[in-house]
Amino acid sequence: MKLTKEKLQDMYLRMRKIREFETKAMGLFAEGKIPGFVHLYLGEESAATGVCFCLRDDDFITSTHRGHGHIIAKGGDLKFMMAELFGKETGYCKGKGGSMHIADRTKGILGANGIVGAGHSIAAGAGLSISCRKTDQVCVCFFGDGSTNQGTFHESMNLASIWKLPVVFVCENNNYGISMSQARHQAIKDIADRAASYGVPGIAVDGNDVLAVYEAASEAIARARKGLGPTLIECKTYRQRGHFEGDAGAYKPPEEQKEWLEKDPIPRFVKFLTENGFSAKELEAIDASVGQEIAAAIKFAEDSPYPAVEKTVEDIYSDIIEEVRTR
Amino acid sequence: MSSIGIIANPASGKDIRRLVSYATVIDNNEKVNIVKRIILAAQAFGVEKAYFMPDTFCIGYTVQEDLSREGVLTAGIEVLDMQLSASAADSTAATVMMESLGAGCILALGGDGTNRAVAAGIKKTPLIAVSTGTNNVYPAMLEGTVAGMAAAAVAGMEDPYAPCIHDKRIELAINGKDTDSALIDAALTEDLYAGTKAVWDISRIRCLVVSRCHPASIGFSAIAGCIDIVRDTDDWGLCLNFPEGESLPAGGKKILAPVAAGILTELTVSDCRRLNLEEEFVIKAGKPGMIALDGEREVQVREGDTLSFRLRRSGPWRVDVRKALEMAQKNGMYNR
Repeated sequence: MKLTKEKLQDMYLRMRKIREFETKAMGLFAEGKIPGFVHLYLGEESAATGVCFCLRDDDFITSTHRGHGHIIAKGGDLKFMMAELFGKETGYCKGKGGSMHIADRTKGILGANGIVGAGHSIAAGAGLSISCRKTDQVCVCFFGDGSTNQGTFHESMNLASIWKLPVVFVCENNNYGISMSQARHQAIKDIADRAASYGVPGIAVDGNDVLAVYEAASEAIARARKGLGPTLIECKTYRQRGHFEGDAGAYKPPEEQKEWLEKDPIPRFVKFLTENGFSAKELEAIDASVGQEIAAAIKFAEDSPYPAVEKTVEDIYSDIIEEVRTR
Repeated sequence: MSSIGIIANPASGKDIRRLVSYATVIDNNEKVNIVKRIILAAQAFGVEKAYFMPDTFCIGYTVQEDLSREGVLTAGIEVLDMQLSASAADSTAATVMMESLGAGCILALGGDGTNRAVAAGIKKTPLIAVSTGTNNVYPAMLEGTVAGMAAAAVAGMEDPYAPCIHDKRIELAINGKDTDSALIDAALTEDLYAGTKAVWDISRIRCLVVSRCHPASIGFSAIAGCIDIVRDTDDWGLCLNFPEGESLPAGGKKILAPVAAGILTELTVSDCRRLNLEEEFVIKAGKPGMIALDGEREVQVREGDTLSFRLRRSGPWRVDVRKALEMAQKNGMYNR
């Protein structure tokens, strides 16, 4: 599979943006500037990047409580994201949703989601919509290992398989559902095995290798565009931080943490790039531009106002009757 | 004491070929079942101890726990105490440990890739290769019970090499430095990265070396097998070159070959020639690429690198299972 230098550069840029955004969010949360909860995507950057790199703006994604990486990789605006994390009026949800509800319909981002397993059925619905409208769009459903024990996973896989919906299910198996290791919540190691029960191709890939993820995702997405139905891709990866900021992750064995830090996707990709024609200077220039963009996003968030008290319940409840009438 | 070693690769049978071809899925619970049958058969014919490679699915511990609970385990089970890397290096390291512990036979459950990793560590212990992977040429589709019986037979033989074939291996050197090896095939591809490792775009292959080939196999070796047949006992292999583009060069050949499970691809071969044992096939890489060993992209190649492929009989002593069981019958192993 051919990748031009420009494409490799773009891949690195997206991974680096996620890393820097999350690193800054970690510090800002510790400083008390971000209210609520943040679930960081540090260590999993290659999964979102490898998959979203194969998508168009009019393709959809559904995300999770750990959604920053997916949104950045799909082209979300860092300023609006950061403002939302800060709870500011200029944020994606006007400061009322926070980290776990970011959505951007212009980019096909159907939303992060605080409910574990809620994205599966939204993805199946998006897939059904594509199928009814007869376009060649695709919906990618991101989720973690813990959610594959939820009914929504099985129901959505079943519907997607019988209706041959253009949905690519991407399981980011980071080995933990909150503090519960996969070995304690499942009698299988490879979640990809579950695909066979729905007559769907299921494959496991090294989720910390952006090129491996990209290769697998591009095949699965091409298959979905052709109307051949869903695929389950299991990206084996690792959450470098706790479940949320503030969780010290004491349940993670230190040797396991060490092993996975050695498999960090960013240094691995940097090694590949420097061995394949990229100079350290070129990569440093990308790092610097990302640093500036994130600094600008933080400034935008800091300078933005909080939503006014009188707007507290605005945009919270939908007038369904009015919406249906005008649709 | 008669002992065997078991290396069951939990990662085999799950790669991208399930998406880009029609490859079989073998889940890890089925591998556990196969291993149970191996143990039950092996202990019935005198094996007292089985060493297991530890793995992320805990196949050894699961087999021990289940068979103990059912009250049918008589052999001792020992899961080796080794640091796991969750990579092919585990298979190599476990093989070395099993040899040093004196295992009379090693059983490898996986595909060509798993056996390549075992071959990197094995020196003299007879090997039974049980297929649980994809596009396999090296391991055979074997019933676990039969594999266990054969392992017991070999582990108890005075001359354990009698039912074995000393396999060939393709040894790769880059710029004069020994780099890696393959059991069945080595291919130079124009891919620039390992990615998902498997190779399915045959148009990117520039040359191929096979230690054996037959049209009844699947994968790279089958490409050569559609032109000529080379058996494991033959003291030669084949080298093939592939042109860039579609046109048929003088002396070239167009063939339709089973390059993956359910995937028949038409391709052009520029030339195909025999490579004798100890003979070296040398090429200079015109552009960067990867070398796929036994079907998996493993070694990076830079423009201008000198690549040398040498065929040697330096592979494992692989058990001919039917022959081992026939010898066991003559030796009265089944008599009670």
